[in-house]
Amino acid sequence: MALPNQQTVDYPSFKLVIVGDGGTGKTTFVKRHLTGEFEKKYEPTIGVEVHPLDFFTNCGKIRFYCWDTAGQEKFGGLRDGYYIHGQCAIIMFDVTSRLTYKNVPTWHRDLCRVCENIPIVLCGNKVDVKNRQVKAKQVTFHRKKNLQYYEVSAKSNYNFEKPFLYLARKLAGDGNLHFVETPALAPPDVTIDLAAQQQHEAELAAAAAQPLPDDDDDLIE
Amino acid sequence: MDDLEQAILLASDSPAAAAASPAVRAEALAYCARARDETPPSSLLHLCLYGLASSPHAHVHFWCLQTIHDALLLRRRLALPDDLALLRSSLLSLAVSSNAASPPFLRNKLAQLLALLVRFEYPHVYPSYFLDLIPPSPPLPGPTDMFARVLVSLDDDLLSQDYPRNAEEASDAGRVKDAMRAQCVPQIARHWHEAAVSLRAADPAVAAVALDAARRCISWIDVSLVANDVFVPLLFDIALSPGSVAPLAAAAVGCLSAVAAKRMDARAKVALLRSLMSAQKGFGSPDSGLKMAHLVTAYAVEALECYRKLGSSDADGAAALEMLEEVLPAVFAAAESGDDDEVDSGSVLEFLSGYVSTMKAPTEKQLGHLGQILEVVRMQMSYDPVYRGHLDVLDKIGKEEEDLMAEQRKDLIALFRSICRVAPGATQLFIRGLLVTALSSAEVSVEDVEVALTLFYRLGEIVGEEEIRTGAGLIRELVPMLLSARFSCHTHRLVALVYLDTISRYIKFMQENDQYVPHLLTVFLDERGIHHQNAHVSCHAGYLLMRAIRLLKAKLVPYLDTILQSLQDALVQFTATDWANKDIKFSSSEDGSQIFEAVGLLIGIEEVSPDKQVQCLTALLNPLCQQIESLVMDAKAQGLEESSPRAIGLQQIIVALTMISKGFNERLVMGSRPTLGVMFKKTLDVVLQVLISFPNVKPLRSKIISFLHRMVEILGISVLPCIPIALRQLLVDNEAKDMSEFLYLINQIICKFKSSANALLEDVFPAIASHLSVILSHDAFSNGFASNTEEMRELQELEKRFYAFLLHIATHDLSTVLLTPSCRHYLENIMQLLLITSCSHKEISHRKTCVQTFVNLIKDWCSSSEIEDKLPGFRVFMIEKFATGCCLQSVLDKSFNFRDGISIALFGEIMMAQKVMYERFGENFVVNFVTKLREAHCPPDLAEQYYQKLQGNDIKAFKSFYESLVMKIRQQQNGSLVFR
Repeated sequence: MALPNQQTVDYPSFKLVIVGDGGTGKTTFVKRHLTGEFEKKYEPTIGVEVHPLDFFTNCGKIRFYCWDTAGQEKFGGLRDGYYIHGQCAIIMFDVTSRLTYKNVPTWHRDLCRVCENIPIVLCGNKVDVKNRQVKAKQVTFHRKKNLQYYEVSAKSNYNFEKPFLYLARKLAGDGNLHFVETPALAPPDVTIDLAAQQQHEAELAAAAAQPLPDDDDDLIE
Repeated sequence: MDDLEQAILLASDSPAAAAASPAVRAEALAYCARARDETPPSSLLHLCLYGLASSPHAHVHFWCLQTIHDALLLRRRLALPDDLALLRSSLLSLAVSSNAASPPFLRNKLAQLLALLVRFEYPHVYPSYFLDLIPPSPPLPGPTDMFARVLVSLDDDLLSQDYPRNAEEASDAGRVKDAMRAQCVPQIARHWHEAAVSLRAADPAVAAVALDAARRCISWIDVSLVANDVFVPLLFDIALSPGSVAPLAAAAVGCLSAVAAKRMDARAKVALLRSLMSAQKGFGSPDSGLKMAHLVTAYAVEALECYRKLGSSDADGAAALEMLEEVLPAVFAAAESGDDDEVDSGSVLEFLSGYVSTMKAPTEKQLGHLGQILEVVRMQMSYDPVYRGHLDVLDKIGKEEEDLMAEQRKDLIALFRSICRVAPGATQLFIRGLLVTALSSAEVSVEDVEVALTLFYRLGEIVGEEEIRTGAGLIRELVPMLLSARFSCHTHRLVALVYLDTISRYIKFMQENDQYVPHLLTVFLDERGIHHQNAHVSCHAGYLLMRAIRLLKAKLVPYLDTILQSLQDALVQFTATDWANKDIKFSSSEDGSQIFEAVGLLIGIEEVSPDKQVQCLTALLNPLCQQIESLVMDAKAQGLEESSPRAIGLQQIIVALTMISKGFNERLVMGSRPTLGVMFKKTLDVVLQVLISFPNVKPLRSKIISFLHRMVEILGISVLPCIPIALRQLLVDNEAKDMSEFLYLINQIICKFKSSANALLEDVFPAIASHLSVILSHDAFSNGFASNTEEMRELQELEKRFYAFLLHIATHDLSTVLLTPSCRHYLENIMQLLLITSCSHKEISHRKTCVQTFVNLIKDWCSSSEIEDKLPGFRVFMIEKFATGCCLQSVLDKSFNFRDGISIALFGEIMMAQKVMYERFGENFVVNFVTKLREAHCPPDLAEQYYQKLQGNDIKAFKSFYESLVMKIRQQQNGSLVFR
């Protein structure tokens, strides 16, 4: 696929679109990979940045061209025009901000309008933060739309590989594909409280057994 | 337009952009933005329509459609009626002439724009949108596809409840739906039917989109337009026909599911469900479960809901239950298919759990269903054989799979639990079946055995202890069966681990049934347990054996020799110095040392004769002591590196000794069997030699400290003479972390021996104080480290231990130590530290500890007569510094939070301090304190009241009064600040 100012490679590569509200940590997340260094300062992405992220699988190397789109409308750019020819996607929200989760369906809709039938991962970011506002059991959207959901923490590298592994498996059509090397990641800035996280994961599992709410009104305070 | 076209292509991911520089792309992007934002509305519209008509590039089309959409929605431009009319006619003609081969993203963008016009103009400005768009009969793929996409966009952007909508959108949605219902919904439904009939073979993708549009509308249109004798059979036929491609079949299933889920009154719903059932022969068959998983699940959920609402006594309710049960085989087939894409296992489980929860006393038929649900649970809890090797060695993939399975099993176990509660007998029977099958075949797989054992293990969590003890139900039969079981795949890590855990889960049964104790021991001791080829299994077996011994105690006395003999090699191996062979890293606490604890517990059982105990303990301790002596001798000659095999060997031996000692207590060792005490005392001497010879090998030292803790515990007061020498060694090369460990030991000694530790404490206190004054110097906290570093955490931990140390001294009759000449030197600093901490430390719990320490020191050192004070000047210090700084000023500070639990506890201690000061210092305290109150702008009457409350006996009233006083003074201080 032709990409601005980036060399093409001789191994499989895929256009990955990463969307979600501004401030949910999309840029931070992709920059955890070798290609970029984690920036503590928040700099709204202008237009789009494309990060080539390589992963090593048991079937060989693959590359995701991550199109990190601007979360905010006011910065313009081509917006959903950037999704054209996207082959897979990550929708990011921030578990410390309810509004970012409430907007997930809209991001999903706009994405699917341009890219029909692509594998999508929903990521709840910032699970390292103690004061989370979207509890694991409230995250049900992925079940309605058959997406994969992962809790991640860009700051601590928690579950960094998981979304990419899921997408790689779907794109390769091989459920047993796995990564053979850990990509070089920036060192974690925070250590995640594993006990607390396990608690959330437990909630998530319990939530899977719960009925889906009719709507998301319960998220409104 | 040419420039704009070029700019759009350069800004996007088109081939043209690949060659362009970032600067050129940024310029292109800016050009597009200017065109969008700065062109007058009418010109912009014409520009975009021209682009749509003339450009060959999809990116350009997309940009034009997006720009018009933005202008309409975001900027509310294009308000001129002529502009809108032009736009409308252009778009409608684009739509009706669109062909299905253009890229879907463009067709969707066009549909989105049309849906927006519908929202703004239908029906009041332009009532014919749908009449224009509905494809004429017979429907052709292009227009059919376009029309469906408009409906889908309308649903996504306006009608669907799945997205946040504002009030304006909601009212627009209501208007559009009402107008459509009045004008064209029957016509549209007819079109869907025609499209499905005529395009299912000719263009199945388009037929699928049409049905998807139908599915979205079913919730708000008259359901009979779809749920009728014509449409429903067609949908079933499409869903089940082998000729239907997957997306088309899925769309048909989606429509039927939407019909089943349509909101309505329960009785009407029963009728609807009945009609669906009768429309398709074999609706509840496993085959339809595989092909229409969504539908059968939705159907079952609805039937269950009706049954719940109407109840079994109602005819419709009973009918709902019947329909539910009829569809169960299909639900089971769906659940067992393991097809994650087609089956939402979450909602299947949710339904199954709901169904089980309606049962109280299951009928014969329902028991059959429960058996099938158990089978679903079993299947979904089974590992995939693909991971067998990974799970055995537990590499990264194996670990991930194990974690994933642990997650997946959580709700399955919840379901299993509820089945077990409703039908305990059937559950046990099911498990027996699994075990018998697993035992009867040599070919049984790892996964089948693992899941059978896991379910049996879980059963043990659910049945009560009493049932296990008495072997209620089939447990009496199953446990012995398990004890003698040897599976062909027993070498696999997973099987071996869950086998041991399951045996341990039912150990209470062995407690009541002595005859099985030998079997139990065999399990732990042979190659299913400690002698398993996998080291993790072996260590886990050691841990479980230790727990078994704790529980069974005296019952094991007859097997003492057998057990010791069997463990001999494992015991020797643990302390062998050839660590090159032990390449496994143990991160958990199960490091293999538990077999020493097990052995210690076994020998320490009081029913073992004293002679036997001496004999066994000698056989155990002597070789270990000899090993230490020879290692120490070698090390003295050749040196001792921290990570050398020799140092690690020494550590292992000392860990082993510590673990052995856990089987003994002071009463036994120092009371009834003093010979044992002598033996441990000797061992202590040997270990101390290590410390004396190599005081600064830190990992080793920390193991020795653990050992000393145990010796203090079991040897009691007789350990005291050995302690000073140990303590001196421990202070060699002592950093914050070491000092923490050291203080922990000292604190244990103080608490255990109280005033008997006086001489010892007097001896070591100066060394401790001087060490701490270096480590905890003010600078260490202020410059140096950020608060989240390891160093800082160690310092904070040390600080905490140190305050605890001072408090222990003050509460265990040891405060006179502080007054001895050798310690006096440090007293001034310690008092200052206590004062500063009690007034202002940010860790409130430290403040509390210091206040408590002061209270005890006052009691120890001061009586009501000043002449008898043990420390001259202390009284004045307390009255002038502590009372003012801590009891008054620190609480007046706004940072003192009366709503915080720890702060409230601190406040309680501060009140206690005032009472004690009043009791010991009398008027001297009161006069000074009241003066300070007045200086802090406390009104005279309240100061007087303070004095009264202080004298009273009601500490609670005193406390609440003082709190309100503090709040009043705080307010007044606020006011005075304003005036200043």
